[in-house]
Amino acid sequence: MKRALMMSAKDNVATALEHLDSKALIRVTLPSQEVLKELAPNQAVPFGHKIAIIGIKKGDQVIKYGEVIGNASQDIEPGDYVHVHNVKSNRMQMPDIWYREEE
Amino acid sequence: MKFHGYERPGGSVGVRNILLVMAVADCSEPVARMIAEGIGGAFAITQHYGCIPGQMVANTLIGVGENPNVAAVLLVGMGCEGMPAHALGKMIKRSGKPVEWISIQELGGTHNAVTKGKQILTEMSKEVLGLKRREFDVSKLIVGVKCGGSDTSSGLAGNPAVGAFVDILADAGGAAIMMEPVEAVGAEEPLATRALNEAVRKKIYKMIGDEEKRWSVPGAQMEFMCRGNVEGGLTTIEEKSLGAIHKSGTRPIAGVLENSDRLLEKVPDGGGFYLQDGTHMEPMAMSFMAAAGAQMVIFVTGCGGTFGHAIVPFIKVTGNPETYRRMSQDMDINAGTIITGEESIESVGQRIFDEVTKVASGKPTLGETLGYHNFSVYRRDPRLEALLKISK
Repeated sequence: MKRALMMSAKDNVATALEHLDSKALIRVTLPSQEVLKELAPNQAVPFGHKIAIIGIKKGDQVIKYGEVIGNASQDIEPGDYVHVHNVKSNRMQMPDIWYREEE
Repeated sequence: MKFHGYERPGGSVGVRNILLVMAVADCSEPVARMIAEGIGGAFAITQHYGCIPGQMVANTLIGVGENPNVAAVLLVGMGCEGMPAHALGKMIKRSGKPVEWISIQELGGTHNAVTKGKQILTEMSKEVLGLKRREFDVSKLIVGVKCGGSDTSSGLAGNPAVGAFVDILADAGGAAIMMEPVEAVGAEEPLATRALNEAVRKKIYKMIGDEEKRWSVPGAQMEFMCRGNVEGGLTTIEEKSLGAIHKSGTRPIAGVLENSDRLLEKVPDGGGFYLQDGTHMEPMAMSFMAAAGAQMVIFVTGCGGTFGHAIVPFIKVTGNPETYRRMSQDMDINAGTIITGEESIESVGQRIFDEVTKVASGKPTLGETLGYHNFSVYRRDPRLEALLKISK
């Protein structure tokens, strides 16, 4: 079974240690290897990207390393892919850069 | 633990024996390169902020010249600079090492300057290239830690492994310094709780707060994270910072080294862990760390990186097993074994420590073997400092 790592028991997101396929059950562990739960990603999650372990309401804190890494900019469901599309920094926002390629 | 290095006047110890040709501004760089070419152990550096670059650049070049990895320095100036070769040269000479300077205008142009420069450098090389390494305790080591091209593997594996190394080095009496002023935004609390005292705690908040001001000026479109960070899974500056500070280990933060127009503070004797003010941009940050006295740098990268530094050898560590697989010709240490579950963070930290003592004793890093000698410097614009009312 594929794995995602929670850095602290306080976290509400985990980091994918492999590419996670949509709907395929994964195992969520702490750094101690203790298995916390199993859940199925609602979308594919690339290696190194984050998945929500529990639901996070719009405006609520997103926690990784036991610390706040930003706030949800929309409601996040358990198993959702968590990234720039649904989390905003509380400190500094990245601008739209001028050398971004045309989509 | 011991390593074999070069003793310098004043008691510092170099891990390399460099003959440095320093063009004080980019206008004299071609001549500096011609002088260094063909002379073993010699190479040329410069800076690209022109000949009136300001005190921060002067502080950096002086500190780089004083770095114990540098055996001797020949400064090359055009002659009309605002920051002249003789002024920097006199400052570097206080370290006690051989230092000379030439002016291209005074010598009558390219050919005469190259001939004279080669003469001086050849004499210097006779003096210093015969120096032998001697055994020293690792407490003589000052190692910088830096990350760049980060993805989330850096926070999970690469940086924690380097943090374990920092603890081993500090416990052995050595010093480590970290320069990540932007990549501490959002991670103030975990750093501040490790401050040795109240004065250090205040300096941590001020350093990070000032850098946040510089990178979030209303109306200015400034990127502070790279595209690779976001594609690698890092969502916000807070997440990047909380991962970045893992490479600082867990020991008390003994101080915040000032780095401003006023002063480029050196790493004090006695070991321990320090933060250094500066910039998060890698080759430039390494020049600052070299100027503060670091002899080596550990560089953690998730995405990968193919560069080196002219003054400080650096050991590249990746926590991303796929990056290691693709770029093993450039990555000195594979910390991806933490991600795959093959190795503990502590075990990789110990491997990094062992590699540091080998590289300090002369083992070339992969970057050195590939011939990388990057050199660049960073400067803060005093006009922005004034407009933002940032005081020292």
